[in-house]
Amino acid sequence: MPRYRNIRKKPKLDMNPMVDMAFLLVSFFMMATTFKAELPEEVRIPASSSEVKLPEKGLCTITIGAGGKVYFSVDNKFERKRILDAAGRHYGLSFTENQRRAFALAGGHGVPVAELPAFLDAKVENRPYEQPGIPLGPDGELRRWILTARTVNPRLRFAVNADARAKYPEIHAVIETFRDLNITRFSIVTDLKTSRASAD
Amino acid sequence: MLPPIEEIETERIHAKDDKARKASRRSIDVDMNPMVDLAFLLLTFFMLATTFSKPQAMELLVPAKPDEEEAERETPVKESKTLSLVLREDKVVWYRGITDPATAELPYENGPLLDLLGSHNAEIDGLVVLVKPLPESNAENLVTVLDALNVSNVQRYALAEPSAFDLEFSEEDAVPVNNRENPVP
Repeated sequence: MPRYRNIRKKPKLDMNPMVDMAFLLVSFFMMATTFKAELPEEVRIPASSSEVKLPEKGLCTITIGAGGKVYFSVDNKFERKRILDAAGRHYGLSFTENQRRAFALAGGHGVPVAELPAFLDAKVENRPYEQPGIPLGPDGELRRWILTARTVNPRLRFAVNADARAKYPEIHAVIETFRDLNITRFSIVTDLKTSRASAD
Repeated sequence: MLPPIEEIETERIHAKDDKARKASRRSIDVDMNPMVDLAFLLLTFFMLATTFSKPQAMELLVPAKPDEEEAERETPVKESKTLSLVLREDKVVWYRGITDPATAELPYENGPLLDLLGSHNAEIDGLVVLVKPLPESNAENLVTVLDALNVSNVQRYALAEPSAFDLEFSEEDAVPVNNRENPVP
């Protein structure tokens, strides 16, 4: 008889500790996560042995894609809105609330100012994946964006996130833009070289 | 199907108890399985979405653009103390001095670069390294060289425009010279 009883009995697990643990882990990961700003183009970061960390806040990143296209992004979305407003004032453009929100939510942009309203109006999924890149040069728009970002947040730090395959002329143009604006200290985003990578 | 034995016994023992008391004694059993499902779904999502390895950064200091007054006050550097690294697409061409130097080349590898920089840094007091990336070089080349400069503790280095010599030189292929066996005078 006892044997029957064991077979019939529905096994019952106390799930409460499991729920506790799962939610503990969930809350940990939720707090530890900083979502990476979505880049318009995938960037393969060059490796170096530098172990300096990028600043977590107040960072303006100039991304240079493999094809030499330049993108501009600032990590704080509230600042992004103000940057857009300030840039709009300079270029004589006014943006709607929807456009401003789209700009705040976009990870960064790589379109000339003239194309910006159309870019922001497009739904995220319809947005042209291939952005033309921000015009460089001494009077280029990149200079204006950096200048604007600096007026919005004077303590902004700058980083160049160049793809390993990006050619030097574009990097040089970005560095020259920095120098032109008296930004003499900036970071180059690199990936920590693993011991395996340095061995081969 | 027979109910489990405990239930039968319970029924028998408490058969005389009234219905209300029986209901209040029954423990509330919440099925936790959907909650566990949900929790683990969220957990999986956050685990996959998290990037723990924050990117590293290499600090770079560039000189401010000099105005005309400052340009005159620029301190000249002794030719003999300069080491030029011309970054080409697939190799580094290096030479010492500026006038009619003997050139040699290195691959983009940490070992040879560190050897070169280390030996020069030890040999020359106040070494100034001029890094001259040609337009054909890419970010990886630049980062490799800057990293080697940082690692070998070279105090003074600068990004410089390639001179006419560098550009002209890059047209023709250099004769590979083993730098350590034939040191440049």
